[in-house]
Amino acid sequence: MAEFSTSIVNKGDVSIINLSGYLDAHTAPTLENNFTELIDQNKFKVVVNFNDLAYISSAGLGVFMAYIENIRNNNGDIKLTNMNDKVFNIFDLLGFPLLYEIFKTEEEAVKKFSESSGVGSK
Amino acid sequence: MNIGILSAFIFFLIFFYSSVNSLLFENVNNTGFLPTIFTFVYFLLIIGFTTYMFVALRHLFLLGRSSRQNIYFNTMIVFFLLASVSARFITSDELSFISATFIVVSTMLMVINSLRISWIAFLTKKEKITLLFLSVVITVLFIVNANNTGNESLMLLSFSKPFNVFISLILIYGAIYFSVLFFTTLFHIPTAEVFDRKAQEVSSLQYFSKLITQVLDFDELTETVTDITTKVSDADASWIIWKENDEFIPIANKNIGFVDSDLINKFILQKINWNDLSETKFLMLTEFDELVKVSNLYKALTVSPLKAHGKVKGLLVAIRKDEDRFNEEDKKAIATFSDYASVAIENSGLLEESIEKERLEKELDVAREIQKKILPEKNPFYDELEISSVFIPAFEVGGDFYDFFEISKTKLGFVIADVSGKGISAAFIMAEVKGIFESLSKTIESPKEILINANDILKHTLDTKTFVSAVYGLIDIEKGQMKISRAGHCPVILLRNDIAKSVKPSGIGLGISKDDHFKEHLDEVTIDLEENDAIVLYTDGITEAKNESLEDFGEKYFTEVLLENRNNNVDEISRKVIQEVTMFSHNHSQYDDITLVLLKWKPRQSKEGGRDRQKIKKDGDKEWQNSAHQL
Repeated sequence: MAEFSTSIVNKGDVSIINLSGYLDAHTAPTLENNFTELIDQNKFKVVVNFNDLAYISSAGLGVFMAYIENIRNNNGDIKLTNMNDKVFNIFDLLGFPLLYEIFKTEEEAVKKFSESSGVGSK
Repeated sequence: MNIGILSAFIFFLIFFYSSVNSLLFENVNNTGFLPTIFTFVYFLLIIGFTTYMFVALRHLFLLGRSSRQNIYFNTMIVFFLLASVSARFITSDELSFISATFIVVSTMLMVINSLRISWIAFLTKKEKITLLFLSVVITVLFIVNANNTGNESLMLLSFSKPFNVFISLILIYGAIYFSVLFFTTLFHIPTAEVFDRKAQEVSSLQYFSKLITQVLDFDELTETVTDITTKVSDADASWIIWKENDEFIPIANKNIGFVDSDLINKFILQKINWNDLSETKFLMLTEFDELVKVSNLYKALTVSPLKAHGKVKGLLVAIRKDEDRFNEEDKKAIATFSDYASVAIENSGLLEESIEKERLEKELDVAREIQKKILPEKNPFYDELEISSVFIPAFEVGGDFYDFFEISKTKLGFVIADVSGKGISAAFIMAEVKGIFESLSKTIESPKEILINANDILKHTLDTKTFVSAVYGLIDIEKGQMKISRAGHCPVILLRNDIAKSVKPSGIGLGISKDDHFKEHLDEVTIDLEENDAIVLYTDGITEAKNESLEDFGEKYFTEVLLENRNNNVDEISRKVIQEVTMFSHNHSQYDDITLVLLKWKPRQSKEGGRDRQKIKKDGDKEWQNSAHQL
């Protein structure tokens, strides 16, 4: 389908992955590589910003499932922010909000990390 | 047949003979008078060697031609014999012109025969130089022997005059042959190199054009390309710089190590713009400061683009150790060759692509076949229910699945599910999911319990990236009640009177949560059914169907269509929905499977009886399956 790209920004010990475009089975490997890199660098506090993401498929959702266990086992977490309604609806249907913390803004997510001093909430 | 070695060998023997010959003459001369035995042995030797020499000459004459053409040679032999015999029998001076004529004719034939030496053209430069040297030596030897008028020839003369004439003729023939050979070779030397290369090119191109049609394997092909490159351009080493995942790596190295070529690659890529290279370029390695790190002292190289679909896919490098740069001839040869190589590499790529495509298509065929077999062949039969189901597979099997479980005459279980992912892997998971629900539905009635059990099984068997969304429901006909549980799937839509109610009990998709969260967050709702209630089960293939501006069909429009048609029978409703979806997305390919299951509660119709089953016809190019209705 269409283009997909990611960029990683570090805010203190929190890594922010910005997503844009279409996240589906064909583009998912890009995001997978991002997670693998962060884990290799022992960065387990991850915020994923969905602000510019237009679409996510089930394969895209799978990426978060693949890494959450490893990251939480290392006292980290994946927090999701800035979803548009459509993307949130997909996460919501599958019950992701019950398992992942989803915030309106990136700042809230970063703040949550510092409050909980790096312990994953779920 | 290595003509060079063969002829060199023969020359050596003749040379050897001639030396012995001279040596023996010396001996005989010095001893003056000695037993005739010695002379006799000597003559036998001369006869032997002469015969051998003659055979050798004949062999040389026949080089590169068919035996039928040796009539000139045979004629020459006849004249040799005639000359010899006439020398024996014609003693008077008046008649000596006869033997003289024979000798003259023989000589003419010798010249004619000596001119037939086209085979030297096919020798390599090295062989030609060897031949040149040998022919000088041999010619001199022949001339010396032929002109020998010392005691030895007198002795020969006294021994047998015809034999003497015969030997003299052979020696003259040899002298003429080799001197012609000498001059011809001499004139061939300056062009030998060019000729060599042309010959090499011709054979390489022939070899390569064959390869273009034969080589299926990319590695094998590139190895051949570099191998031929070294031959065509007389280079010491060759390799291809290949772009893989944005990295430039040397492949198919010929006569050069990976480390060396990788070092030189950096130099080349500094000097050359990958995408702009359109023709073969020269580079001198004297400008390369890291040359000391390379194990061989290379001096010059050429780089040629290997293009496919107009894009540079790789660079073909040829490199030389010696001082001389590659000349224009080399450049031409490599350029021509790299064009051929490009075509071959492009072909090999296309072939690989089409094989891969075919493989994928086969795989999808299998996946579709599995899906088709997994889905129920027909809808179950209950007096109180109208049931319709539509399934339209996407090109890449999308992982949609639904099933009915006729638990008893008064209880119907149903499930709709969507496996994340596509293709054959989704199809296999579908098969697993079908098995799980089928067996669970036999022992458990509660939709919630069934989903909890299904999750317990699937969380262990699914890989971490895969999940299954599902809705499981149970209709109790006696009680007129329906229980529903939802695991991450699209909500169930209940059409009652003029309202479409989205039934969305809490629940996480199967296989997503490995711990107790699934159980904790799973709800089950019970709905008391009313006459004409319609239960709509669907997958996101409907709501996420896209039009050309990539807009979704959407839940809102979906419910609108449902409400508009709510008073029709279930087949009509589903036909209408599919029609709308098809019209909406007619300019966009169907990306996901579409599944729509409709159940309509008709408790009163059971008394009316009379039912009818009919298949809904195909709509456009999309396939309708398992559509049946009850009246």
